[in-house]
Amino acid sequence: MTNDIKMNTTTPASSKKKKRRGASLVEKKDRLGWIFILPFLIGFVFLYAGVVFESLSYSFAQYNTIPAIKGGGYSLTFVGFDNFAEQLMKTVDSDGKTFIEMIFTSFANQIIDVVIILMFSLFIAVLLNTKMAGRTAFRAIFFVPVVVGAGIIAKIDASASEILDAMSSLEGIDMGTSQGGEQASGLVSSMDVEMLLMSLGLGGSFTDIIVQLVERIYEIVNRSGVQMLIFLAGLQGISPSVYESCQMEGATAWETFWKITFPMISPMILVNAFYTIIDSFTAESNEVMQAIIAISPDGVPSGAQSAAAWTYFGIVIVALGLVALVCKNFVFYDRKND
Amino acid sequence: MNKNQETAPRVLKESKNRIRVDFERTSLKERMKAKYLNSNFYTKLLLAIFRFVLLLGISYIILFPFFSKISASFMSPVDFIQSDVKLIPKYPTLNTYKYLIIENHYFEAMLNSFILSFVCAAIQMFIAAFVGYGFAKFKFKGKNLVFLLVMLTMIVPHQILASSFVQKFIYFDFFGILEATGFYNAIGLSQGLYNTYAPLIILSLTGLAFKNGLFIFLMRQFYRGVPDELEESSAIDGYGTFKTFFHIILPISVPMLTTVFILAFAWQWTDIFYVNTFLPASENLLLTSNNFWAVMPDTLEALKDQAGANADTFEVAVKNTAGLLVVLPLMVLYIFCQRKLVQGIAQSGLAN
Repeated sequence: MTNDIKMNTTTPASSKKKKRRGASLVEKKDRLGWIFILPFLIGFVFLYAGVVFESLSYSFAQYNTIPAIKGGGYSLTFVGFDNFAEQLMKTVDSDGKTFIEMIFTSFANQIIDVVIILMFSLFIAVLLNTKMAGRTAFRAIFFVPVVVGAGIIAKIDASASEILDAMSSLEGIDMGTSQGGEQASGLVSSMDVEMLLMSLGLGGSFTDIIVQLVERIYEIVNRSGVQMLIFLAGLQGISPSVYESCQMEGATAWETFWKITFPMISPMILVNAFYTIIDSFTAESNEVMQAIIAISPDGVPSGAQSAAAWTYFGIVIVALGLVALVCKNFVFYDRKND
Repeated sequence: MNKNQETAPRVLKESKNRIRVDFERTSLKERMKAKYLNSNFYTKLLLAIFRFVLLLGISYIILFPFFSKISASFMSPVDFIQSDVKLIPKYPTLNTYKYLIIENHYFEAMLNSFILSFVCAAIQMFIAAFVGYGFAKFKFKGKNLVFLLVMLTMIVPHQILASSFVQKFIYFDFFGILEATGFYNAIGLSQGLYNTYAPLIILSLTGLAFKNGLFIFLMRQFYRGVPDELEESSAIDGYGTFKTFFHIILPISVPMLTTVFILAFAWQWTDIFYVNTFLPASENLLLTSNNFWAVMPDTLEALKDQAGANADTFEVAVKNTAGLLVVLPLMVLYIFCQRKLVQGIAQSGLAN
């Protein structure tokens, strides 16, 4: 068989196993897995690891460009943790917040965002999964942000707000066009919501969150496209017979959701939590990312930027690990194939 | 209805092989009453209306920016200033379109973008399937570690690594072979692979391009749902692992491959960062190149000389229209394949 030949080339370790009786057929087949992941491994080892290492080494060094007269290129002077110490304690805004403080305050906001995006996308996915008139059309519209991508929308929006800026320089003129998001969320005035919640006697911080939510609905919708897609996939994977038997037993829709839909979809929630965290923590619109990019906006490598970035990613990775640990206990796996 | 209250069904009409009878049944009015005049029906109706209005509202939020941008693209500078112009311009103009299509070579850029996106998406789709299959169906040591590495590549945004990547591609080499043989000089590249499509293709080939970690993950989940019996039976039929993959596994994963392809294509099409990092030269005109979005300095000068025309406004208006022209072809494609997008992912077996 052709496979056997390939196997010998990829598994020099097979001689070690001679003392048993050679690898079993299953083991031999499993080693072929390395060939399948080879494209990624090659890229990772020869390209990505080098790039990451380079970026990390910048964070421990001072980057100096050598002028072209002296041959060009750059030199690195090792400075230990100076970059970290300097950058993390640097004040970044008018309140005198240091960079590390900004990371943590932005973290708190981002976590709220992640939870909101998860709830919103699950809610919409459940809605889009029910049978109703115009479902196909709604699905098509709701996945527009997935296809168009946040980057380009942000860029067009930026140009739109540039129009606004250009206009407002011509003083006192009511705008003809305005940024889509502003006008769209202007449907519900945030003031009204605030008044309503206040009259219900709800406290300040909760009101703030809701008001922010209403104001940023455009952003949230745009950021939850992929999550909706994944949730919808999960929902479609639940067998309708489970729901039928629930109905026969007299469960209400509310009970069905919490007892059937939610556990069945919990692996998807974990996946989406991961994806949302990665997506929102590393998005260019993120406050911290903006600060990091602003350290060296023209793309010239700088020790300070690398130090700031790697500290931030370190914290993000730790956060992801925590989420994985917490979610592990809540996720229900319907083990059919394992 | 049957007024005589007969117990037996009344024969209305009888022919050789057909008979029509009238049964005693509740009147139409009664039936309608039972069906529609109860609280259950009302709650359902109310819920349906609520749902519909909510979805409609959010759809509006999603689509409105496009409408406002379409209307803005037809506006002349005068319309931008006038307060009574909201969505329908008073003095419609096609200037920005004309400028982008003629001066900024829209169709050329679109063709280039199409070729690049198509090639990259096809490669990314295939690589994601290949790697995802490796992660899903083989149990080898270190698999989980490598999968963690895949996730890591997603966590670190390439913006931070951009300069290192650029350096890497300018001096791209396999152990000095290309340098020694004068490969780059032979094909006329003075900056290595910089300013060619090669960096994006290499990133796609190694599963490191934009959000490829997600694609690998999706494919892995899909293949986990494929029963092992399929491969076993094909092995019994004498297929090797690779023949099985290409002849059996790939064909059954077409729905998921389509989803990955659509996402990869769309994200490459609308990508701003990679295009401007690796291909900034003006001869590589793509839809998302900064060159396409910009107004030539001499045109701006000419505009400034004209009385009444606002050069700044024209510049932002061109950006606005450029954005639209980037998105529109994509939307047209999307309308045709939006069903596939959901279909593929729905059959992915993600729920397992």
